[in-house]
Amino acid sequence: MPVHVQPEEFSMVFFDAHEIRALTEELAQEIGLPAELSITVDVDETTPLGRSVVQSVDPVVIHLESGALEDAKRPRQLDPVGAADVLGRLLLAVRDRLDPAFGDAPPDDDLPLPHSVAWQVYSVGRLSRLGHRTNRQRRLYQFRNRHGFTDTADAAFDRLWAAEGLTWAELVQISDEARSALPA
Amino acid sequence: MRKSFPVEDLARDERFVRVPIMDRINDPRTARQEQAGTKGKRGPGRLTPDRPDAPDAARALMHGIFTGEIQALEGAGRTCWDFEVGSGNGEGIPEVPFELKLDMARQCWDEARHCEISIKLSDHMGTEIGEFSENTFLYEAACNPDPVLRLTGVNRALEGLAIDVFNTMREFGDVAGDAVLEFCEDWMLADEVTHVKMGSDWLRRLTADDKERQQRALEFQRVVDKLFSLGGFRGDEEDSPVRLARRFRELAGFKDDEMDTLAEVAREARQEMDARIEANRAAVAQ
Repeated sequence: MPVHVQPEEFSMVFFDAHEIRALTEELAQEIGLPAELSITVDVDETTPLGRSVVQSVDPVVIHLESGALEDAKRPRQLDPVGAADVLGRLLLAVRDRLDPAFGDAPPDDDLPLPHSVAWQVYSVGRLSRLGHRTNRQRRLYQFRNRHGFTDTADAAFDRLWAAEGLTWAELVQISDEARSALPA
Repeated sequence: MRKSFPVEDLARDERFVRVPIMDRINDPRTARQEQAGTKGKRGPGRLTPDRPDAPDAARALMHGIFTGEIQALEGAGRTCWDFEVGSGNGEGIPEVPFELKLDMARQCWDEARHCEISIKLSDHMGTEIGEFSENTFLYEAACNPDPVLRLTGVNRALEGLAIDVFNTMREFGDVAGDAVLEFCEDWMLADEVTHVKMGSDWLRRLTADDKERQQRALEFQRVVDKLFSLGGFRGDEEDSPVRLARRFRELAGFKDDEMDTLAEVAREARQEMDARIEANRAAVAQ
């Protein structure tokens, strides 16, 4: 599976492009992306912030700020476990987007925050079942922040976390129903 | 038992990792980006729930509060022990009045409770103890051998920062609808106002007849305040992630001109950080 990492050499952080490429290849294979699919991982090393998006699916370009891959205990160093969480989540979103049955989701930059977070929960839940270390409570806290600190939101979170084979429309419906319980 | 315990010997288990502040300062990356159409720079922005990264930013800040509480407990505990009981008015330094030790004992009680609250809040937010690195410069401010300077640096500067941070987190919880966070931060904020008030009161009492010592203490506070502004992370600007909580600082004994000075100190810290980043970048480019 051809994976390209940009830049090939980092100067502001101590990341190894080979390590990121190997991790991405392994994840893409586990997730079941087509073997011939070309993937570009574009890292903006000029910022310590942690934004991460699927920039396009044709060709597949994943864009990340360096903080998204950074070890919270070792500044400017790569955290392989955290990187697997981020890259795995994004590759699962790529798989969803490439699946005609999933339906048309807006581009990442246009996603409303609640829908984006709901998709993240759905993806990280699947990633955890693939055996990767994830933080369920952290995702629940993110979800509650966007859907309310309510029993309805927690039930919606549980559905998303345990789900397989959702469509975009179903995902949006779960998110919107959770938000409908928010006080006016 | 030793007096004036060195920062290197603070007890931590294997979950905690310390990162020297210079590692942060030497980072050539910047969270501030050029603002479109201007020469100005914008930061990650004020910590409000509408920021896409808000939940994770709040988790990181909460962990910083937690390690700060540990160090505040350690600092107040040391102040109970490091000085002998005496008049504390400058004759026979390092003596302090017994009542000051009593205040520090009460503060230890508060800080221990804050540690417990912070751990429970971290569980609530999905943060593991030691998930983020620890800076020890808070405790380092609590190592000053003069009790007046120590109290000014810790209780007015550090606990003052705590007022700003807790107020930010309290508002964050309110807007996000997180009643647990809002309630906990509100109670801890009330304690911090008391701690700062203690620092303000003791500074005035112990230096009433020693203006030179008072000036040294205020200068030390200025140095610590600048450090605690964290390159503009705390400030009075619209985009400062943590803003000065002027109303609560007023309740804690801060005067308007002192808060204006603090805002200026934070601005200086931000400009110095920007210049530092530019220099770091130039060094990387060479």
